[in-house]
Amino acid sequence: MIQLIHVFKYYNRRAALTDVTLDIEKGEFVLLMGPSGSGKSTLLRMLIGAEQPDDGHVFVQGKNVTKLKSSEIPYLRRKIGTVFQDFRLLPKKSVFDNVALPLVVQGASAVDIRRKVTEALRAVGVDHKRDQLPVGLSTGEQQRVCVARAIVNGPVVLLADEPTGNLDPGLTSEIMELFKLINARGTTVVVATHDPLVMAQVNRRVVKLEQGMLLPEQRVLA
Amino acid sequence: MRTIFYLLREAWTNLRTNRTTTMVAILTTAFTLACVGIFLLLFVNLRAAAGWLQEDVKIMVYLDDRVSRESAATIEQQLRSDRALASLVFISKEQALGEFKAQFPSESHLLEGLGQNPLPASFVVTLSPQYRAPDAVKRWAERVRTITGVAKVDYNQDWINALATVIRSIELIAIGVGVVLSAAAVTIIGNTIRLTLYARRDELAILRLIGATRTFIHIPYLLEGAALGALGSTVSLIMLKVVYEVFRQQVRAMGRLAGLEQMVTFFSPEICLALIIVGMGLGCAGSFVSLRRFVEAKV
Repeated sequence: MIQLIHVFKYYNRRAALTDVTLDIEKGEFVLLMGPSGSGKSTLLRMLIGAEQPDDGHVFVQGKNVTKLKSSEIPYLRRKIGTVFQDFRLLPKKSVFDNVALPLVVQGASAVDIRRKVTEALRAVGVDHKRDQLPVGLSTGEQQRVCVARAIVNGPVVLLADEPTGNLDPGLTSEIMELFKLINARGTTVVVATHDPLVMAQVNRRVVKLEQGMLLPEQRVLA
Repeated sequence: MRTIFYLLREAWTNLRTNRTTTMVAILTTAFTLACVGIFLLLFVNLRAAAGWLQEDVKIMVYLDDRVSRESAATIEQQLRSDRALASLVFISKEQALGEFKAQFPSESHLLEGLGQNPLPASFVVTLSPQYRAPDAVKRWAERVRTITGVAKVDYNQDWINALATVIRSIELIAIGVGVVLSAAAVTIIGNTIRLTLYARRDELAILRLIGATRTFIHIPYLLEGAALGALGSTVSLIMLKVVYEVFRQQVRAMGRLAGLEQMVTFFSPEICLALIIVGMGLGCAGSFVSLRRFVEAKV
């Protein structure tokens, strides 16, 4: 599903990723662990074509992301759901409209949008807040809306960059359970985090990055 | 359909949300386009005036005294079949004498002393607008001079040259000023759109993340630019019309220039529509330039 082959990335001659080779199978749940600045976000951004490696190749669902034209990148991103620490919801749009956005962008019909958004909001447990603006929601609810937006069009991969960074341990646990549920439905999930609590809660494959280099893996079984 | 509705709604929301910026952009664009408009109005009226003056340029084709009435009729037919000819009036020897006497009554005794009428018969010719350029007039005169029975072809070469130079200068200045002020309009609208883009940079980043194509992101802003351009252009036309009417009233009030107000014209409805469309185009161009600079940056 995801493959990085000898990937190098530099910012102003400083190495952000050094010779990273990684394989993630379809349906896997992978935790990308490492301290701030270890290259986790850079790696995730490469998977959605927002960064290009200086050397090496990145494949998502068999497609070489490094070879994609800029006009093809939106279509890649439609297959990938993304969740961020800072939620990135549109403050002037309702919960429903925020979640509907990926479907609107793809030109889905009104009936499809209503059905899929309702399903996604129910899946994350915030259907009752559909008409509210994000500002009226708690941080946990905002992150749930963000997850709903990421899964609304049935992505093959869900990428989450520090999704629990703004949440307390209780909410962290809720969100991680949600990711497990999404993964159980067959979606490949990659969560980048520096929080050891998350690792303890998830008990899945852990890939560690330090100063842009991949450390030997440890697989924790549930 | 839903996508189109969404994009139109987004453009409308952009304009409404940034009301002050929108108003400032419309007014600045209107003032800039009004400057273009004033120049264009001057250009249109000066060109029209130059056209009337050119129409006034007559070419005299004098006939040989020995030419019979039949030969004169043949020459007339030959001239009338010429594509370059707009109008032709025949003046016989007798008419020429009559006109001379009417114009110079105190000098008429000079001709009477000669015993016979020394004035030649002639054709007074006006050429079609596309044949009024100095070179074309010269070529036409040279060609007519070779017709048997034609004694002389006379016209005011200097006057025609001077008029052509004036018209060319007006055209060049109009193009120059138009280009500079249009660029200013593009920059003003572009900057307004850039402010909107900056205010909505997070939204743009989200749209890119969820797989919005460049076209999907660009269209609301291009529509916004087009709306700003069209509104600015319309306001500028209203401003110009007010100035134009005030000018006409002032001229009418001044007795010495009476009649001038009838000669000065405003843009025709077609030109007004064309100017609004040009405004829309400039607005789109302004948006496009800003979008190229702003949205190209990757997430």
